[in-house]
Amino acid sequence: MEVSITGARILHTFENVPLLGTVQITQTLAVSWLVMIIITGLCIWLGSGLKVTNISRKQAVAEMGYNAIVNFVRGNMGPEFDHYIPLVCTIFITSVISNLISLLGIWSPTADLMTELAWALVVFVLITYHKIKASGILGYLRGFLDPIFILLPINVMSECFTPVSMACRHFGNILSGMVISTLIYAALTAASSALFGALGSSLVIAILVMVLGLAVSALGYKQKKKRILIPGAIAAVLGVLAVFTNLGASYPWLIVGIPAIPSLYFDWFGGCIQAFIFCTLTTLFIKQAAGD
Amino acid sequence: MDLYQSLVTVNPVTLIAQICNLFLQMFLVKVFFLDKIKAIIDARREAADKEITDAKTAKEEALVIKAAYEQNMLESKAEAEKILQNAQQNAAKRGEQIISDAQKTAVAMKQRAEAEIAQEKKRVLNETKNEISDIAMAIAGKVVGRELNASDHAKMVDSFIDKLGEEV
Repeated sequence: MEVSITGARILHTFENVPLLGTVQITQTLAVSWLVMIIITGLCIWLGSGLKVTNISRKQAVAEMGYNAIVNFVRGNMGPEFDHYIPLVCTIFITSVISNLISLLGIWSPTADLMTELAWALVVFVLITYHKIKASGILGYLRGFLDPIFILLPINVMSECFTPVSMACRHFGNILSGMVISTLIYAALTAASSALFGALGSSLVIAILVMVLGLAVSALGYKQKKKRILIPGAIAAVLGVLAVFTNLGASYPWLIVGIPAIPSLYFDWFGGCIQAFIFCTLTTLFIKQAAGD
Repeated sequence: MDLYQSLVTVNPVTLIAQICNLFLQMFLVKVFFLDKIKAIIDARREAADKEITDAKTAKEEALVIKAAYEQNMLESKAEAEKILQNAQQNAAKRGEQIISDAQKTAVAMKQRAEAEIAQEKKRVLNETKNEISDIAMAIAGKVVGRELNASDHAKMVDSFIDKLGEEV
């Protein structure tokens, strides 16, 4: 079988748009707008019906989240950078929702380098702004000659690669998660068709496996031995699915449930941790640029 | 046939759109979430601060009242002591006055009584003397049987009585 991993699907192409030329509306943009709608809806929901005393559970959660993000920004940058709370909060929540939306089988906007690059460029502009503000335009330019003028190209490169590395770190993690889950799906589909192809080739074998599995699991249940019960139950389930396959309800059953286990790491953990890392780097770089 | 982008590609339109999306999203998050929660938390903090300030003010007022009360208590205590002292002094003075008055009266009475006693004694003595002399004369007249010269007689009686008085 063939496994293909591609970028975002192009939903629509507008030709000859003034100024921009050819405009492709990709899945990335469409899902980004979906994510924005989700986040805005969440914000409106969490931000409504607020009370000073006798607060609801929803408000407690909202305030907890607010305090977490404020403490995060203040902890990394200090209280004088409170005006960056909206930026950090937005990048974090957008990143998390964009990463996790792939769990619903929707294209993740963060699997497109342009998304992360957009955020990283905004951060880069802020970093540069703070560097110039801290040491003046001449001081900023002189910084490239530090410690010796020969290092100028390296300094320029390191400056330019700040946003690139930020964007690629996030993008690479999400992309690798997507690639691995695609591979797992493909592998499980292949394994599934092989397994049920064999078991379901004849109805007799399928029913035999089912009955045998049921008998073994019944024995295990009676003797209260999990060592017998669990393999028996698995055999019974496989038998039932093989009967379905034989009767024409063919489906790669193995992709149900099993991919959730690697997805715990690649989607949930990776998705959240990359959002966190991106925001941490954002705050630290800006703080560093502003000087102490 | 669906068209796909390549896995890693640079698409300026998407890039610009995502930057715009970021700012729009930032604005929405700020307006609908952060600002509202911040306002609520600030309101709560203000309320808490107000409670604390009110409590402090009340405490200060109470302390002022307490100090005034204590001052009053001290003053009234001092005044009471003063009054008591005055009363004691007055009483003592008055007592002394009374005692000294009584002593004076007693002394005067004693002196008068003594004077009266002395006078009475003298009077009684004189009367007795006269009586005795009369009796003595009568007795003597009878004993002697002769009339004595009155003046001699008197002298004799007097000397007798003097002797008698000394013995008495």
